[in-house]
Amino acid sequence: MSFHPRMEYAPAKFHKSERTLAEQGGDFKYTPENQAKFDENVTHYPPEQRKSAILFALYLAQGQQGYLTAAAMQHVAQQIGCTAAEVEDVVTYYTMFYRTPVGKYVINVCRTLSCALLGAERVTEELSAALGIKPGETDPTGTFTLVEVECLGACDRAPVVMVNDEWHERLAPEQSAKLIADIRTKGAAAFTGCHLNKEAQQGAGARGTGDRGKGDRT
Amino acid sequence: MDTVTLTIDGRPITVQKGKTVLQAALEAGISVPYYCYHPGISIDGSCRVCVVKIEKMPKLQTSCSTTCTDGMVVMTRDPEVVEARAGVFEFLLVNHPLDCPVCDKGGECPLQDFSYTFGPAESRMDFPRRVFDGEGVKADVDFGPTLMLNRNRCILCTRCVRFMKEIDADAQINIVDRGYGSEIATFQEQGVHTLISGNLMDVCPVGAITTRDYRFKSRPWDNPGVVDTICTLCSKGCNTSAWLKAKPEWARGSRLIRMTPRFNPDVNNYWMCDIGRFDYHWVEGETRLRRPMMRRGTALEPAAWHDVEPRLRDRIQEVVTADPTAVRFLVSAHASNEELFVVKQLVEGLLGADGIKAVSMTWTRSEKPQPAGTKFKVPATDAPNVNGARDLGYDVGQGNDGLPDLTALRTAVEGGRVKAVYVIDPGPQGSIGDVSWLIEARRNGTLPLLIVQGVVTTPLTDAADFVLPGAAYVEKDALYTNDQGRVQAASSAIAPPGEALEDWQILVNVARALGLTLPYTSSSDVRRALAAAMPGGPYADADKIGFAQPLPASSWLQASNPSERWKWDFFFQDLPPVKGHSVQTEGSAQALFIPLKPVG
Amino acid sequence: MAYQRVLTQYINEPGSYTLDSYLKHQRGYEGLRKALTLKPGEIIDQVKASGLRGRGGAGFPTGMKWQFVLKDTPKPKYICCNADESEPGTFKDHVLMERNPHLLIEGCAIGCYAIGAKVAYIYIRGEFYHVQQILEAEIEKAYKAGYLGKNIFGSGFDCDVYVHRGAGAYEAGEETALIESLEGKRAQPRIKPPFPAVAGLYQCPTAVNNVETLCNVPLIIMNGPEWFSKLGPEKNGGPKLYCISGHVKKPGVYEAAMDTTLRELIYDERFAGGMMDERPMKAVIPGGSSVPLLLPDQLDIPASFDGVQKAGSLLGSAGLIVFNDSVCAVWLAMNLLHFYRHESCGKCTPCREGTDWLLKLLMRIERGEGQPKDLDLLFGVSNNIVGKTLCAFGDAAATPVLSTMKLFRDEYEAHIRAGACTLPAPWRAKHAMAGAH
Repeated sequence: MSFHPRMEYAPAKFHKSERTLAEQGGDFKYTPENQAKFDENVTHYPPEQRKSAILFALYLAQGQQGYLTAAAMQHVAQQIGCTAAEVEDVVTYYTMFYRTPVGKYVINVCRTLSCALLGAERVTEELSAALGIKPGETDPTGTFTLVEVECLGACDRAPVVMVNDEWHERLAPEQSAKLIADIRTKGAAAFTGCHLNKEAQQGAGARGTGDRGKGDRT
Repeated sequence: MDTVTLTIDGRPITVQKGKTVLQAALEAGISVPYYCYHPGISIDGSCRVCVVKIEKMPKLQTSCSTTCTDGMVVMTRDPEVVEARAGVFEFLLVNHPLDCPVCDKGGECPLQDFSYTFGPAESRMDFPRRVFDGEGVKADVDFGPTLMLNRNRCILCTRCVRFMKEIDADAQINIVDRGYGSEIATFQEQGVHTLISGNLMDVCPVGAITTRDYRFKSRPWDNPGVVDTICTLCSKGCNTSAWLKAKPEWARGSRLIRMTPRFNPDVNNYWMCDIGRFDYHWVEGETRLRRPMMRRGTALEPAAWHDVEPRLRDRIQEVVTADPTAVRFLVSAHASNEELFVVKQLVEGLLGADGIKAVSMTWTRSEKPQPAGTKFKVPATDAPNVNGARDLGYDVGQGNDGLPDLTALRTAVEGGRVKAVYVIDPGPQGSIGDVSWLIEARRNGTLPLLIVQGVVTTPLTDAADFVLPGAAYVEKDALYTNDQGRVQAASSAIAPPGEALEDWQILVNVARALGLTLPYTSSSDVRRALAAAMPGGPYADADKIGFAQPLPASSWLQASNPSERWKWDFFFQDLPPVKGHSVQTEGSAQALFIPLKPVG
Repeated sequence: MAYQRVLTQYINEPGSYTLDSYLKHQRGYEGLRKALTLKPGEIIDQVKASGLRGRGGAGFPTGMKWQFVLKDTPKPKYICCNADESEPGTFKDHVLMERNPHLLIEGCAIGCYAIGAKVAYIYIRGEFYHVQQILEAEIEKAYKAGYLGKNIFGSGFDCDVYVHRGAGAYEAGEETALIESLEGKRAQPRIKPPFPAVAGLYQCPTAVNNVETLCNVPLIIMNGPEWFSKLGPEKNGGPKLYCISGHVKKPGVYEAAMDTTLRELIYDERFAGGMMDERPMKAVIPGGSSVPLLLPDQLDIPASFDGVQKAGSLLGSAGLIVFNDSVCAVWLAMNLLHFYRHESCGKCTPCREGTDWLLKLLMRIERGEGQPKDLDLLFGVSNNIVGKTLCAFGDAAATPVLSTMKLFRDEYEAHIRAGACTLPAPWRAKHAMAGAH
């Protein structure tokens, strides 16, 4: 493409970057439900501040196809009214957006101090051994992705792992392999959930915070 | 004007209210380094090298983001500042490759210069450097049709990101990843596609963004001359500098090596477009007209000026004698005010008092694809002097807002009523628009005489009886009136090639051959007459406008003294021109020279 | 007199998060009702009189912050509730939002009324999705009950509260970075001034307040500023949530007045109940990972903003990370620097380059490949970060290195002498894999 009335810009390619690009992906468009959700969310912000809805828009796109392709980013740019570069700028900054396909279960092991003090490093090692993958990788069946993350904000229930949006607390290293087996058989039911949240959902008698009771995992 | 007075390094300094400490220091000649700050874009405060100590403030402050207040006491040479600054330089250099010898920015690089002055003597870093796309120049990757990007050299000042967002208004450059892994990028490596992309090389304070045009072409110390001039490729009239490379007579390649913008807040600010920046190759290109040519039989053959002139006189007089209304002039709006002034006297002498009616002005327009919100709009008119023609009394119709109306001339030519056309076109190819009808009139014999005074070989010169080689915009001192009505000076940077002459000279010679006496022996003579003829307006001081001369290499080397370097950065966005702030305004544009320190 | 919990009294009750429970047990929304009968300035005066200090980490007086919010402007004003709780060792806002969300909602509404805002955004970290779901459902209920929305209590005051989900960035907890993130950009800090109170969200006057801070506001309005200021030591009044984690028997969130000592918090049965497996304590980080360590002999101080600062550390977010003598100081610094390197936004030079350099040095020392000069280098690089960065992140990142070097320099030296980690613990990675990428 030339902007010049007379002169051709150098069309030759010298050297391509080695940067890993987002997969272009097929045509992407929000489902009608997601479009409706986006249209609602955008009303939370002043009309000239649509860009505020960008994280929400990206979550919707990621929820729709599992990860963010270039086509999805372009769609979000269109929805927001910004450039695709601005979308990529945001996508690559935040850790919760994936630019490559991930497994059905993304296991985020908290590796920061409080969890590490109670064996998070060992948890990662055990999970890694059980899955046969290194942190950052997805197993060949596309079921599990193992990720090390920084503090999840549940340090009293260390070590904590977040699987997709679900939490699993107090995962001892020795129980890590069993957790994988449980996920394979029981799916999301294998997670403890957030101890607070679980009570909130079930309305059951609470243990509350501040109790290391050994047997309260189940 | 509201002012505040503060003290920097013990010196009381009074500045306009609202200025930052950094601006105040630079204005007072106190060197403070900076990277993320650029006077033309928003303040970021992220590079941290401009830190200063300010009394009553607990921590060191970034001077770029601190507004001056009355009584503020600032120290830029305090030991604490010196140490902190050196620490930041150490950080900036831990991953910056030391490939200055192969870097296009080498020799005119603020990172290089400021590091010598303010950085630590040596780095304590002993881990390998971060490498993005390979070592050395292999890391230069495509960054759009005009640019290359070297991420290893990038110090993440984000000037380019902010330039695209704020000036171009199309945020094509972003950062990918964060923290230590941050990289400058474009979406899917598509590169930067904008009409003002070349400015990114200027805003980049290191050799991360470079232009393909200047790639490996020259080094600052190969550039013996820099001439402050203006661009004439559209009606905006951006203030520019033309850079000349030192090369022996016999060496191939051009002398004109690049064009860069020169700060003028009223015209182009710190920027220029890619057309003006990159489209100068035709000036010293293969198609340049270097010798006069005359048709002998069917062939157009080179001839000497002294042979051309009498023959030209005979042919013109033949037509004029038969029917004075059968002579027409087609003049490009690339012609300067001097040239238009002489043309006017020529036609009046030749054809009588209303001879100017025989002249049709011509130019082209092209709407440039630019984002709606751009802060640097490139005008549609691809000629510099439509307003000058208007001021001198030529019919320009709607002027810069419209296209010239050549239908009357065309009808007259096609109807055989015109027997001679004299075309004057010092612009690049295509700048007088569609002239196929003229060529057709020549082919079918309707037009007996065609004289073309131009600079490049075109189908029209091929069809002419006489071809008179003129001078391009960088080859003559000349005045142009931009779309704001501002009269600006384009300076001669190089001489016209071969036997080509400056256009006013050709016109004076032709007039003399025709028996008209135009008493000009230099272009300044013409300007003097122009000034006298048009008193009271923007042309009244046309004879007093100063033209820049190429500055010789020795002065350039003096100017490369890093301690003087800040001035270039401030006024010329990291490019080291050799002269100061020579904003050209109507009437008085004497260049202000920065006093240079002798080397050693 | 035993301390009566007010923020977390009912959190262990079933359904404590519901509007019914809030109305029944906590005189729900009476603070808001009362506030709407006062002038906005009077509310600010009451908050100022209470001495409430921001619970996010800096401890800045909340009333002052609100007073600074520009009044004479045609622009809208905003409350941004900082629920990004990402400081390692901190999980109190998590509990408040999940178990007592209406207290926060009410606090947001009163805050809006006080500064003249009509909208409050609760910026919640992306990882708290389950918390967000509860919070959003309860906000919906508050709207239905007329505590939010148009013309609240017939006062003519309109207030909207929206939850804005982050997406994984510690730096979004910095107030200007939070605003940038809310505007749909990278969570990178802005230069100050202008402060958010003058030009915050969308360049409009904005107050950014922590969850726990806003939760205290309804209590102040209901019970009066005196009640609040008398709870705890002077200038450190009001209820405080402490997050205790690490090698203690009962990690968790505990509410107490700020005259409680650090020793009580760690060892008392009412709180964390002592060290796990009775192993001796090595040190405690008293205010989230960004503050200097305190040794076991420094615990007899009030866990107040001023008390901890006097002891040479900071109360910060009141996240106490306690660890025993099995912890290698070099490993600890390395673990935290991995965090800071990962979370550095990359905007300003010293932090972007410095955190990586520090981590590389610490890994080298921990691997046993360190040289004696590396200790000076660690010290030098850390000091080149401290005070040189755009936001407080730089200081926070250098603190674990400087603090461990100060207290446990012998361990660093031992690593270099021995050419290996001198204090490997069984709970650490068997292979030097974790943290190595």
